[in-house]
Order: sequence, then structure tokens, then C-alpha cells
Amino acid sequence: MSSRPSSRGAGDSGTVQTLLRKLCCKITGLPEGEIQPYFQHACTILSSNFSTPAESDEHQVSERIRRILVCQGRERDAIRFAELHRKLQSQGLVKNRWAVLYVLMSLSENESKHAKEKSSSSLFVRGIPGYSTSTPFNAGMRRPFKAPPPSSDNIRTPSQMSNNTTASSGISSIHSDVRSDGPTPVPQSFLPSTTFVSMDGERSHKHGTMSRFADALSKTGSDNAIVPRAGRNQTGMMKSQGDNTSFEIPERELVRDLVFILQGIEGKWIKFDVTKDAYKADKQVGIPQAVRLLVSGLSECGWLLNKVKNYVETRSADKTFGLVGQSFCAALHQELTEYYRLIAVLESQLQEDIDQGIGMNVSGISLRRLLVWTFDPLDRLKKLAALVDICKGKKGGALASAIYSYLRHGDPFTRSLVKHILTMVSQPIYATLLRWIYDGELEDIHDEFFVASDPTVRNDRLWHDKYSLRKSMIPTFITTDQARRILLTGKSINYLRQVCLDRSPIKGREAAIKVDTSHAEWMFTQDLSNNFLNMIDRVYKETSRHLLDVLHSKYKFMDHLKAMRRYLLLGQGDFIRHLMDLLEEDLAKPASTLYLHNLTGILETAIRGTNAQFDDLDILKRLDVRLLEVSPGDTGWDVFSLDYHVDGPIRTVFTPECMIMYLRVFNFLWRAKRMEYVLALIWKNQIFNAKLLKSIPELSTILHQCHMLGSEMVHFIQQTQYYISFEVLECSWHELLNKVKEAEDLDCVIAAHETFLDTVITRCLLDEQSRGILTQLRTIFDLIIGFQQAQDSFYQTAQQELMARQHFAKLQKQRSDQGDWGLTEELEEEERKRRIEFLKTVIPTTRPKFAVLAQSFQDMVQQFLVMVTSHQDVSLRFLSFRLDFNEHYKGREPKLQSPANYQRMKKLT
Amino acid sequence: MPREIITLQLGQCGNQIGMEFWKQLCAEHGISPGGMLEEFATEGTDRKDVFFYQADDEHYIPRAVLLDLEPRVINTIMNSSYSNLYNPENIYLSKHGGGAGNNWASGYGQAERLYEDVFDIIDREADGSDSLEGFVLCHSIAGGTGSGMGSYILERLNDRFPKKLIQTYSVFPNLDEMSDVVVQPYNSILTLKRLTQNADCVVVLDNTALNRIAAERLHIEAPSFEQINQLVSTVMSTSTTTLRYPGYMNNDLIGLIASLIPTPRLHFLMTGYTPLTTDAQVASVRKTTVLDVMRRLLQPKNMMVSTPVTRHTNHCYISILNIIQGEIDPTQVHKSLQRIRERKLAQFIPWGPASIQVALSRKSPYIPSAHRVSGLMLANHTSISALFSRTLQQYDKLRKREAFMDQFKKESVFKDNLDEFDDSRESLQQLVDEYTAATKPDYLSWGSKPADAAEGL
Repeated sequence: MSSRPSSRGAGDSGTVQTLLRKLCCKITGLPEGEIQPYFQHACTILSSNFSTPAESDEHQVSERIRRILVCQGRERDAIRFAELHRKLQSQGLVKNRWAVLYVLMSLSENESKHAKEKSSSSLFVRGIPGYSTSTPFNAGMRRPFKAPPPSSDNIRTPSQMSNNTTASSGISSIHSDVRSDGPTPVPQSFLPSTTFVSMDGERSHKHGTMSRFADALSKTGSDNAIVPRAGRNQTGMMKSQGDNTSFEIPERELVRDLVFILQGIEGKWIKFDVTKDAYKADKQVGIPQAVRLLVSGLSECGWLLNKVKNYVETRSADKTFGLVGQSFCAALHQELTEYYRLIAVLESQLQEDIDQGIGMNVSGISLRRLLVWTFDPLDRLKKLAALVDICKGKKGGALASAIYSYLRHGDPFTRSLVKHILTMVSQPIYATLLRWIYDGELEDIHDEFFVASDPTVRNDRLWHDKYSLRKSMIPTFITTDQARRILLTGKSINYLRQVCLDRSPIKGREAAIKVDTSHAEWMFTQDLSNNFLNMIDRVYKETSRHLLDVLHSKYKFMDHLKAMRRYLLLGQGDFIRHLMDLLEEDLAKPASTLYLHNLTGILETAIRGTNAQFDDLDILKRLDVRLLEVSPGDTGWDVFSLDYHVDGPIRTVFTPECMIMYLRVFNFLWRAKRMEYVLALIWKNQIFNAKLLKSIPELSTILHQCHMLGSEMVHFIQQTQYYISFEVLECSWHELLNKVKEAEDLDCVIAAHETFLDTVITRCLLDEQSRGILTQLRTIFDLIIGFQQAQDSFYQTAQQELMARQHFAKLQKQRSDQGDWGLTEELEEEERKRRIEFLKTVIPTTRPKFAVLAQSFQDMVQQFLVMVTSHQDVSLRFLSFRLDFNEHYKGREPKLQSPANYQRMKKLT
Repeated sequence: MPREIITLQLGQCGNQIGMEFWKQLCAEHGISPGGMLEEFATEGTDRKDVFFYQADDEHYIPRAVLLDLEPRVINTIMNSSYSNLYNPENIYLSKHGGGAGNNWASGYGQAERLYEDVFDIIDREADGSDSLEGFVLCHSIAGGTGSGMGSYILERLNDRFPKKLIQTYSVFPNLDEMSDVVVQPYNSILTLKRLTQNADCVVVLDNTALNRIAAERLHIEAPSFEQINQLVSTVMSTSTTTLRYPGYMNNDLIGLIASLIPTPRLHFLMTGYTPLTTDAQVASVRKTTVLDVMRRLLQPKNMMVSTPVTRHTNHCYISILNIIQGEIDPTQVHKSLQRIRERKLAQFIPWGPASIQVALSRKSPYIPSAHRVSGLMLANHTSISALFSRTLQQYDKLRKREAFMDQFKKESVFKDNLDEFDDSRESLQQLVDEYTAATKPDYLSWGSKPADAAEGL
């Protein structure tokens, strides 16, 4: 634009030159001969690359001229100018009226400035010292006078005030915020309708922004009304010093430069110094040190702006930056727009000053004033830049956390700024969160949310593996516990939908989501209100309850749990007993000869014959027989196991790992049960044979020996079984039931169940630590089996002897009945020999055999007790306590005395 | 296959306590006096088939055989509301109905003659069960039918079902008051021989103690048979709860008694039950806990056997089983056991390991209970021998005078001689000796001396 007049001038220079000459005569009032230097000067001006303001509006220029005239107190000239202008318009001779007017105006304005630029001009030399010292001083002194709002402020209507306060945000809102002194108003941009409209800063299509623009314009208008007055006062006062301006770069130039700098553009004098990473005034240029400092202080804005702008530009283009990042960019962009608006105001002010300042050397915007005006924006920019700094390389929840760390800032303005930005930034997180906790949907293509989902996980592991917390993305304003609950809530919904196949809507979801959507700030203002916590809690509790209800009602979780207890943990005693009755024969065979189908048939029989038949059909269907891996030499007892098939949702609790634990426990309990069973048989044999063998008194000691050893074994196994029944099963079961009853979510149930299994495993001596004890116990079990066999064979021999004797007696009776004299000598001799043989062989061999068995059993038990007593797990002491209730073993084993003493000592202290 | 138990009720006393027992069982399982399942009894976790079987019309019939030589008590049963409960084929009344006249020998002799008829019934009942566990015999040892007929049946049961368990609930006569049955000591000693030799487990119900408990604990001045029998039926039903409500342990009779009876002859069990209050007021004052119950069970005054406290013999527990019912926190059990051990509330045998076994059992959901926790103790205590010693003394007194021998000599058992008396006495004396031996540490090698002697021969 600036080139237009000059190019024209080149076109028909003759006419222009004549006109110019005339103009010079007119303006200077000198005779035509003396105007040559002025004419040449005018020519240079015209041909120079002088920038023109953006307006090419004739009316505006004319208005400006008139105003300058008015300002200068030349009202009459102004009226005259208006008259002349009107004539010019009406005649239509001059086509390029605005340009003409502009030239005229510029001429009048730039007169003094032009002179200043030519520093060699001796006319102003004497003003140097005055300027360099007095202006800052004056400015410093003057500020207090300027500070009270100009009288025109009162002209502002309250409606304008409110308009400003309500309609603006960001930088331009600061002043009004301060003045209104009320609560921070909700800026329009906070309203949800505009939140997501655009990310790229293109705002013209927004309704809300349009109105904001209008407001901004009207504000500019009112500012225009204010500032000139202030400027007039200033100029009036400055006038006296105007002559003092130095050879240095005039303040106005600097201010103009600074306005560029404020926009992050290099100015004429102030350039970007790459080495120092700052805007610096040219060193060659004469600028006083104080002003330099001032300038560099002001130019910080530009630097900060660039920084923020760069971040926004690079990040906005980054497609993988995610929604949270984009919201951050949008928020920054919004702030920058506000900042630009301020620049626009400054610029127009500057322009006005230029317009007014014809023939004057002091601008309405001084450096000082600029400093004051940019004080808040600078602060704001600093904060933004700081945010940009800490948010670098972050995204999603981490970004929100970074911003949140500034929310505790002591400065209320900063706080409100950060809060505003955080609100925008957390909006996508909040939206994702709501969808997650209400619908279980996770739309997070950029991995910003703190719940991560692994799509490769299949449904049966959904609860355990599919969803996890992305620790780095948990915003710091959300506690770990809340994050856990949020994760659980969404997970529960997904679990319900996909695993439980439950499509029932979540109660109150519609109403709740409507209320909740607009409260992203709840998340990070938890110290002020419990709304967020309450909402999370409510949804979490409802969803978890629903899930548990479905598990309990539809999938009969408790029934399955009880079934585990009844079958795999041998709780259904009659069934187990009967099963053992039926299996006894088969299980004694080598493991390799067992056939699963036979065993399954037996299982069916056992179910039908006992109370198990009253169980739910679904549960019975799941009950099955399983053969463990066979190793050489195993009998059926070693490999037999019951199994329980789980599928669907309950599999989440009864995981394959849990089932393996159940099987291990079953194996242990089954072995213990077998001992109980074997001992019952031993005992039964004893009482049966005791009656039977009464007639052979020589056997009574052996029988008594058997009874003693048998009763000791019975005691051992019974007490072990009571220990298992109480300390292992009842107590932990009791705890499990309580926990399941109180469980708030499925995780609690799973945890309770796992704790239960762990406790059972540990107390059943199945963990690593107790391996030695378990081996010892197995050895004791083996001894019992050994005793059973030894006793059985003894009884068999004894019974044979008995039968032989009975046979002999019968024969004797028969004979005497037939009238013979008893028996022949041979027979009697035979009988006598046999008896002696029996007594000589059986009794001397059997007695020590049982004595050895008894001794080794007692040794084993004592050793076992020593091991158990020194075990870390206190609950195992219960076992030793039970096994040696009357301190029978303690009296015999010195090792057993010390730990007990130690225990007593501990109790006393 | 429920490991069925057949109950044999013998004589006046046996049938009376049997009747109370079945009443109690019916109530606990929700079975009406007519044998039909009550509508409320829908919970299917109890095992009814141990003691009942179902007829074709679904109605529950007790596995019970009612035997008596005189019709009075059985007629009472048949005129009660429970008349339709029993299988009429299982009720056997002697044709002439004269009873046994409180004479053991008469009962024994009549039983011998009625053997075919009686064992027809028992065999049929046994065949009707899939895996018969054993028999429970209810009788008194002092009368005629219960003791005499009971003795005979015990012997025969041993022959016919050598591998089946025989448990008896034997009522011992009240020794505090003069009995109308003068030959009581004779009857007792003869029966006790069979109980020692032919039964596997005898639950001793001492009328002396029962009367004392009724008077002291229940504050009934002159307790009726029915009231006493109610105590007995409580004991009987509670001691079978673990069989009827299956759990992890003690699901069959053998499991229950095997740990109580270390050697075959020491099989006489005492019982104790607490809280024994019929008065609701007392119940509301008392707070029952596991420890409380277990401690009370160890107090002699709650025992249903009265044994004189003798300081000079170290009588001790051979074994204890507490069956605890009610709302129990299983962790309490251990604490209670610890407390009992610390306070040394129970003296145990010196020759082997022994302890208090605790079985938790479910309670019938159909019977409201005034107490949160209640408990039954089955204990094998050596002091039971005092009861036998007293019987022996009384027997000796009578025998010395040869009093009332005529009645016995009339019967076939004693037609030839009175050896049976001496035999019984010796048998009982041996039992007393063994119990005494069991209080000493050398019981482990008890009986080896005679054996050594035998070896030496």
C-alpha cells in the first residue's frame, strides 16, 4: 500500500511536482522561491518506503485529521477542513481522495519526527540531555497522576462494564476482573457449546466468538474514547519537554518496534538475538541503558509468545497428540487470541497517537505505559510458557497432572488461569471417564486415559488381564483408590456385558450422565466438594453391586463356592465316605490300571447313594473324576482326584490356578481322609478280632499292643483331622464367607477367595516352607498303612489258628458224639505241635514287629511335633497343641519342651 | 448308601426312651407324627435315611424294632399320635404278655424262645438297608426284659452280625433310693457282662445322676419318667447329630466312637449336656459361649453318671468328644481348648496322647433353641468303674445271702448251676481292674504278665 502513492508519482511527475510545490507554499506560507528544501523533503517522503496504516478509508483519515486539529485547539480549522473535505467529495475531481488526505496528514504529523531522525540536525542537539534524563523521570513521576482513571471512564455505562466482564476472558479480561472485584465470571469459552468446536483456532464460525469480536470492537471503541483524552493530557504536559528529545531512537519508534516484538516479530531496532535467545535492541543504536533494560523487559512478552505459539503450532499439527493435548492447545490458543486482541488495541492506540501527534515528538504510549499495560499479559504469558515447559513431551493424563501441579499456585489470577486451562484440558479425560464408568466404552485411540485395554485378551481372562491402570496417565488429582474404582467400574460393565452376557441397563444411567457431563472441574476440585468422589463412589457401588447380584443370582456363585467346599474340600462327609467305600478296591491297584470311565461310574453311584443327590443338577454335572499324572509305582490313591468344571463368569473367581490349588488341597485332604478311613477299618478289625480271639489267651498281649498303637494312631489322625477341620477349613471358610458377604466388588471376592486358598494351602503344609513337615507327615501315613497290613496279616494268621482249633474241637466233639474216646493220639499230638508252632513262631515274631512299628511311629510323631513347633506359621502350633494336648510327647522329647517354654516366656513378658 | 443304624427298643424303659428319641428325631427332621415330611421341612441337607427309610407312599418310617414282653408301654405308644409312625411289623409283643417279672433270667429265657420271631424282624430290617453300620440298643440293665432279653439279643447280634457295630444306651438303676426291684444287682451284673463282651460302645445313662440333674439343675422335685426320658432323648439325638447332618468329620458311628474307645473293653461312655434348662428365664440370663459350654461339660454336676469322687485313685479321662451345636465362631474353639489346658481342667491318661475332640454340628433349623450354643460331651472316663464297683458290692451283699435266687434257678440258664453269676462277676471285676490299670502309666504293657506266664507254660 505504501508503494501506491509513489508509483503514481512516478507516472505523471509533472503534475504531482506542481501540486507538491503548491502544497509546500501553502503549508509553509513562504514564497515559492524559498520552498525548494521543503519541496525536496516532501519528494523524499513521497518516494520513501513509508509505511501507511492499514486503513484506506477516506472517512477515517478525514476524521483523524479533524481530530488532530481539534486536539491542537484549532477547532475553527477543523470546521474549515470539514467544509473543504465535503466540497472535495462533492466535486469528485480527485479520485484518490483518501491518499491525498493521508499524504496531507502524514506531512503534518511527521514534520517533527522526520527532523528527529536526522540526528545530525543541529536544531535539536541541545535537547539530548533533557530527553535522556527527564523523560524517564517525568514518566516515572507522571504515572501516579495518570493512574486514576480518566474522567471519561465515568462515561462508561454499567452495561458496558458488565459487557466487558461477562464477555471477555483471557488477557483483556484481567483489568475488568480486577475492577469488578466480584467472583470470577464464567467466560463464554467455558461453556460447553464452544468447547470442542474447533481446535485449530478458526473461530469465525462460532456464534459465541462473533459476539466476542463485537464486544472487543466496542471495547476498542470505548478505549479510543478514553485514551485520547489521557493522551491529550499527556501531550499537553509533555509539550514543554518535547524539545528535549535526543538524537537517540525516539520512544515512539521503540514503542512501535515493541508492539511488533509483542507479536513476536522483529522490529526495526530490536532484533532477535539468536545467541542470547532473546530480543535485543541493536547495540549500535543509541539507546540509554535504562531504556534498554525496559525494552528487554518488554520484549520478554514476544519471546514468551513465540514459545507458546511454537508449541501450539507444532502440537496442533501432531495427529497423535491426542484429545487432551489438543484441548491444551485450544486453551493456549484461546489465551493467545486474547493476547492478540490486546496487541490490536495497542496498535490502534499507537496509530491514534501517531494520528494525533502531528508535529509532536511524544507518543501517547510510552514505554512505561506499555510496561504497565503489558504487566498482566506478561505474567500470564509467563505462566503459559511455564505450562508449556512442563507439558513438553507429555500427553493425556500426565499433561493434566502437570497442569494440575500449578493449580495450587498462591496467586489467585494464576490459579484462575490454570483452572480455566485445566478445565479445558481435563474435559476430554472427563468425557472418556464418564463413558467408561457409565457405558464401559473406552475410546482412547491416543492412549491418553489411565485405563488401558488389551484387545488380545480373551473373555475368560477379561477380568484379570484385559484392563489395567496406565499409571503414568493417572492425573494427580485422582487418587489411586479412585483410579482403581474407576477401572473396576468400567471393567465391571464390560464383564457384565461380555462375560455374564447381561444386557440389562444400568439403573439411573441416563439421568446421571446428564447431570454429570458438565462437571469436569469436579475432578480437580475435590478438596472443595465431594461431588466427584460421590459420583465415582455411587456409580462404582451400583455397578459392582449389580455385578455381584448377577453373579450370585444368575450364576449362583455361592452355590459353586459351597460345592467346592463340599466336594473338593471334602465337606460332604457322607459322600466322601461312600465314595471311598466304593473306590477302595480300585484305588489299591496300580495307577496305570485305572480307567476313568469306571471311576466316573463309581462317582455317579456315590452321588446317588448320598445326600449329594439333593444337590443342584448343574453342580453335580460339573463334578468329575480326574487322574493326576502317573509316576511309576503309584497306586490309585496317589493319582485319584475329584474335579469340578467351571466355566463362564465364575471362572473369573475359580481360575485355572485356583483350581490347581483346589486339586492340591483335595489330594492332601483325600490322603488324610484315607488315613481316617484306614484307621476306622483297623479299629473295627480290632474290636471284631478282640471278641473272636478271646479264646486264644496267648494273643492278648499282642492284641493289647495293637490296640495301644492303633489308638495312638487314631489320636494322631483324628487330631490332625480336627486341626484341618477347624484351623484350616472352618476358620478360613468363616472368614471367606464374611468377606464375600461384605464384598463391594468382584475384586474383593477374588481377593478373599485367593486369601482363603492361600491360607488353606499354607496350613495344609502344601507350601514350600513346609515341604519337610509334609514329607514327615507322609511317612507317618505310610507307617499307618504299614501297620494296617501288619495287623491284617497277624489277624489272618490268628484266625487261621482259631479255625484250626475250632476244627479240632469240632472233630473232637464229633468223635465223642459218635461214641469214640475223643481223639487219637496222633491227632492230639499234631494239634499240640501245631499250637506250639503257632505260639513259637507267630508270637515272638509279631510282638517285636509291632514294637518296632510303635517305636518308629512315636519317633516320627515326636519329630513331626518338633518340626511343627518350630514352624514360622503360628497356626501350625495349633496342630502341635492338639496333637499333644495332654503333653504326652512333651515329656518324652526334650526338644519339645524348649519351644513351649519359650512360648510361655513370651506370653509372660 | 447311608450307613443305616437300626434301633432296638427293649422293655419298658427301652421303649419309653425310644419313643422320646423318635419324637425328637421327627421334630428335628421336620417329620410329622404320621411320618410325612412337614411342609416347612424343605431344606434337604439333613440325612434322614440313617434312621428312617421311606415307604412307597413317601412317608418316613423309623428303622426301629420295638420289643417287649408286656404290652403296657407299647400300647401307650400305639395310642399316641405317633402310632402310625412305626412299621407295625416291627413291633413285637410277647403273646402271653406276662412280662419278665424284673427277672433277668426270665427275659433271657423268653428271648431264647422268641429268637426266631425276633430275628425275623431284625433280619428283614437289616436286609432292607444298603450298608448297615450297626445297631443301637435302648434298654435298662436293672429290669427283666431290657436286661435279660437285651443280653440275649446282644449275644445273638454278635453271632449273626459279627462285623456290625453295637451301641447301647443303657439305663443304670438309681442307687440312691430303694428300688422296687430287689434283684436289681443280679440283673445288672448279668447284663453288664454282655455289655462288656458283646457291645462295642455303651452309653451309660445313670438314673441316679439323671434324677439328681432333674432335681438340681431343672428344679423338678419329683421328676417323672417322661421328664427323665426327655433328658435321655436329648443326649441320644445330640450324639447322633453328626451322623444326621454330614460335615467334614464324624459322619459315621465308627468314626465317632473309634477315637473314644482305645481298647475294645473300655467302651463305657459318660455323657454330659449343657445348658440343661427348660426355664426360659434362666436362658435369657445366661450367655452361652463355646468356652462356657466346654467348661461346664467338664463339671461333674453336669455329667449324667454319678460317680463318687475318690481322691486316692487318679481317675482320668481316656478321651473326650464334645459335640457343639449352635452359632459358633470356629476360632473360639481353639481358645477354649487353650484355656482348658492352661487351667488343667481335665486330667488325662498318663500312658498315651489324649485330647478333647470338638465336633461342630449343625442344629436342626426347625426347632427353636433358647441357647446360642449347646454342647454334649461323650467321655471315656476311668471313674465309671466306680459304678461297676458299686454294683459288684451290692451284688456281693445279695449273693452272700443267696437272696432271691429261687426265681433265677427256675429259668433254664441257671437250671444246672449258678456259674453264669460267677462268670459275670469275674468279667465285671476284670473290667474294673482294667479301668484301674488305665489310670496308670504301665497300662501300655497291661496284660503282658499273664501272657508271659502263658508263654512260660
